[in-house]
Amino acid sequence: MKHRLFLVALVSLVSLIVSPQLMASSEQIQPQIVKAEPKDRPTALSYLNKMKQAYNNLNYTLLYLNTAQNQIQPKQLVHGVIDGKRIAYFTYLNGAMRESLQFDGKISFYQQGSQPYSLLSHRDQSVFADIANFNFEMGNSNYEYIILGRDRIAGKKAIAIRMISKDQYRYSYIVWLDLDSYLPLRLDVINKSNSILEQTMVVSMTISDTVNPWIKQLSAQGTPDTLNLPQSNSAEIADWNVDWLPTGFKVIKDDRHKLMLHDTDPVSYLMLNDGIVSVSVYISSKKSLLADQRENIQRGATLIYTTQTDNTEVNIIGEIPLATAEKIAASIKPVH
Amino acid sequence: MKEYSQDLSSLIDNEFDDQEIIETVLGDVELQQQFSRYQLIGDVLREETDGLDLRIDVTDSVMAAIAGEALDDNVIPLATPEKQDNTVVPFMKRFGQYAIAASVAGVVVVSSLIVNQDDATDPSSTPVLSTVPFGGAAAPVSLQATPAQTENDIKERNERLEALMKDHQLQLQTKP
Repeated sequence: MKHRLFLVALVSLVSLIVSPQLMASSEQIQPQIVKAEPKDRPTALSYLNKMKQAYNNLNYTLLYLNTAQNQIQPKQLVHGVIDGKRIAYFTYLNGAMRESLQFDGKISFYQQGSQPYSLLSHRDQSVFADIANFNFEMGNSNYEYIILGRDRIAGKKAIAIRMISKDQYRYSYIVWLDLDSYLPLRLDVINKSNSILEQTMVVSMTISDTVNPWIKQLSAQGTPDTLNLPQSNSAEIADWNVDWLPTGFKVIKDDRHKLMLHDTDPVSYLMLNDGIVSVSVYISSKKSLLADQRENIQRGATLIYTTQTDNTEVNIIGEIPLATAEKIAASIKPVH
Repeated sequence: MKEYSQDLSSLIDNEFDDQEIIETVLGDVELQQQFSRYQLIGDVLREETDGLDLRIDVTDSVMAAIAGEALDDNVIPLATPEKQDNTVVPFMKRFGQYAIAASVAGVVVVSSLIVNQDDATDPSSTPVLSTVPFGGAAAPVSLQATPAQTENDIKERNERLEALMKDHQLQLQTKP
C-alpha cells in the first residue's frame, strides 16, 4: 500500500515537472502557426478577389465622378442581380440624357433625341468592370499588388491597393475598396512618373439587400432593336502582323471592317487586350498627309496614336503609354 | 383718393360706418379694388389665406404700361459668331443611330482636349503634339498647321480620328 501511494506521488511529481516543459515547447510552436495563418492579415490579392465578388454580386447604387484632364463628369451606376443575372443601369448626371442598360447579354443605349438601340455585349461595360473582373492571379506576372494603407472615401473606411506594372508598357493603378462591402470606391490610373491620368471616385454608395425596384422594372421591359455591327469578313484575314506585343497582351479580335461611322475603305483591325485595357489597332491606306508624320492625342489615359509610313497609316487607340503604342506600331509588318 | 384710403382702412377695422363713404366706395371701382387689396393684406397678416389664390393678375397693368412706351431700341444684339466649320453637326447626322454608342461609351473624342503629355521624365518617348480639339470647339486650327495643310485637310483628319475613336468605342462594347 505504502509503495503504491509513493508511486502515485512520484508520478504526479514527475508530471508537474514535465508539464511546464510541454507548455514551453508549445509556446515555441505557436508563433510559427500565427505566421502561417493568413486570416489575420489578408493579402492585397485576397482584397482584390473580394472586390471582384462584391462588384459582381451585390445590389448597389454608385454616384461617381470621372475626372480626366480637368474635366469632371458625374455619373451614376445602379447594379443588381435578378435571378442570378446581373443588371447594370448607367447614366450621365449632367447634360443631355444619356443612359445605358446592360442585361442578359445585351446593352441598350438611350439618348435624348435619338433612336434607342441595343448591341450584343457579354462583357460588363460598367465603370469599374475592367479592373474588378481582372484575373488577379494570372495578372500577377504583369502587376504587383501592394497594400498602401487605409483611407476614407465617400464616408467609408477604405483600403488602398496599388497595382504596379512590372514593365513600362502599361499603366499602374491604385484602387480603393470599401472595407465593409469590398466594393471599389476609387480608381486612379497612374503613369510611371506617378501622375494621375484619370480618376474615378465614388461620392455616394448605397447597398441594399434587394434589387432596386426601378431597375427590376426596367429588366422586364423590352429592349430596343439589336443592331449588328457590320459583318467583318473574317475569311479575308487582315494581311498585317504585329510582331511585338507587351507581355500579357493578346489579340482578341482580328478582322477587316468599314469604320461604322465613316465612309471609308475597310480598315484592318486588331484588338489587343491584357485583361484590363483593350487597344484598337487600325491599319489603312494613307488618305491625307499629316503635317508631321505623327499626331498624337491624349485624353486621360486614352491615347490616340497615329503614324504614317510610305503608303499606310496606323492608328492605335487605347489606355497605354505612348512608348507602347510606338513599339507596337513599329512592329507591324505586312504578311507576305 | 388719399382721404378715402384712410377711410377704407377704418372701414375694414369696423371703426367706421359713415353711410356716405360706403356709398362712395360702392360707386367707385378703384376704391373697391383697393378695399379688396386691404382685406387681402389683412388676411395674409392673420394667416387666414387657406387656399386663397394670391396670384394677383398684373398682366393687364404691365401690358398697359408697355403699350404706351416708345420702342426704345437700345438693346445691342450680341455679336453672332461667324459661321464656323462645326464638325459635330454633320457627324451626328451622318452617324445617326450609332452616334449614341459612341457618346454613351465615351464622349472621349467630342470633348477631347488635347494636352501635351507630361512625359518630360521619359526620354524614350517623343513629344506629343498639341493638336486640334475637335468636336465644335472653335480653335485656331491653322496655328499649328503647316501651310501645306489646308483647313479642309485638318477637318477631314479630325473626322477620321473621330470616326476611329467611335469605332473603338463600339468595338469595346462588343469585345469578345
